Amino acid sequence: MSSRRFFLEAVTLIAAAIICALVANAMASRERKLAVVSQNVAAGPPARVPAKEPAPTQTIAPPPVTTTTRQPDIPTTTTTTAPPAPGTRHAAPKPALARGPFNPHPDKPYIEIHGDDVEYLHSKGALFLDARRTSVYEQGHVPGARAFSVWESDVDEKVNKLYAERSDPKDQNLPIVIYCSGGDCEDSHMLAQKLWGIQFNNIYVYKDGFPDWQKRGLPIHTGSNP
Amino acid sequence: MKWLAHPWLTIRVQIALGIIFVVAALPKIVDPPSFAHMIYNYKLIPWSLINPMALVMPWIELLCGLALIFGIWKETARTIIGALLFIFIIAISINLIRGNAIDCGCFDVSAAGKTTAERIADMRFVILRDLGMLLMVGQLWFASRGAGSQPAEAA
Repeated sequence: MSSRRFFLEAVTLIAAAIICALVANAMASRERKLAVVSQNVAAGPPARVPAKEPAPTQTIAPPPVTTTTRQPDIPTTTTTTAPPAPGTRHAAPKPALARGPFNPHPDKPYIEIHGDDVEYLHSKGALFLDARRTSVYEQGHVPGARAFSVWESDVDEKVNKLYAERSDPKDQNLPIVIYCSGGDCEDSHMLAQKLWGIQFNNIYVYKDGFPDWQKRGLPIHTGSNP
Repeated sequence: MKWLAHPWLTIRVQIALGIIFVVAALPKIVDPPSFAHMIYNYKLIPWSLINPMALVMPWIELLCGLALIFGIWKETARTIIGALLFIFIIAISINLIRGNAIDCGCFDVSAAGKTTAERIADMRFVILRDLGMLLMVGQLWFASRGAGSQPAEAA
């Protein structure tokens, strides 16, 4: 077999595969669709709404950085690309939650927490995001949690919607708990990075994830609604 | 060694390899986000390439598998499959050396919640399995080479 024929056949096979992949992806349901161009989940959505000016009563300065200047791959370090303005740190608002402290932490994308704190935050009505696949979410999730799979094509849409809901810096300092399936699952960390990238400053990752929630015998919702 | 290039064997190896690749491709085609997640876990591919790879690679597997089953462009399909197996073996081996226990994502893309030890054992098995499939590719190559292109053409 000549190498020319091999080359032509190989190119044809690969081109056919690309066409099939694009057509199949275009026809796939939202949960099975993949963004053709991978976006670094740590970098946040490309079209970022500019942060509003902090409200006068705001005591913690929102980090004066854009998504691009935040370091994506250093999740738990305390590297600060944007130190809070001098003189504002000590005047941090009283924590909205007694157990904790669950203060905003603009220098860290997220803080890992365990079941007791998670239960407490849930009882206080904190927003919960489920980073697992939507199909798994529908089988059972933390009551009130929203489906936010980082691997599905509509995650940026959801993140932008959340940003629109909480565009006020005061709202961005409200605690958000993200969980996936615990163990070595990194999806919640990725989502946390993404949200931190658009200035959500008070994100907690439920380290042991949904299996721990189940083990604790806490209420579970099923279906596609929070 | 004549038996090794016998058309009876060649046709069966060719169809078996084709079926294996079609079966492996289907779950990934059905659920690209899960497969993208699996590729991410390998920690070998840059971000920008994960999604395109997760979308296209299963279709390459499927089309090459079908080509082998139906005997169309089988030499090209066999070569591509050989190259894919080689890449899979290298990718799994790198992670095994790193001690990074991952689900292979070969035939199943649902996260099975296995323990680290189970995953490491699976990864060793996967390398052996892929080496076995590489031997099948070798047989097809040997048959078309060693005995001239007659048996393969006849197949």
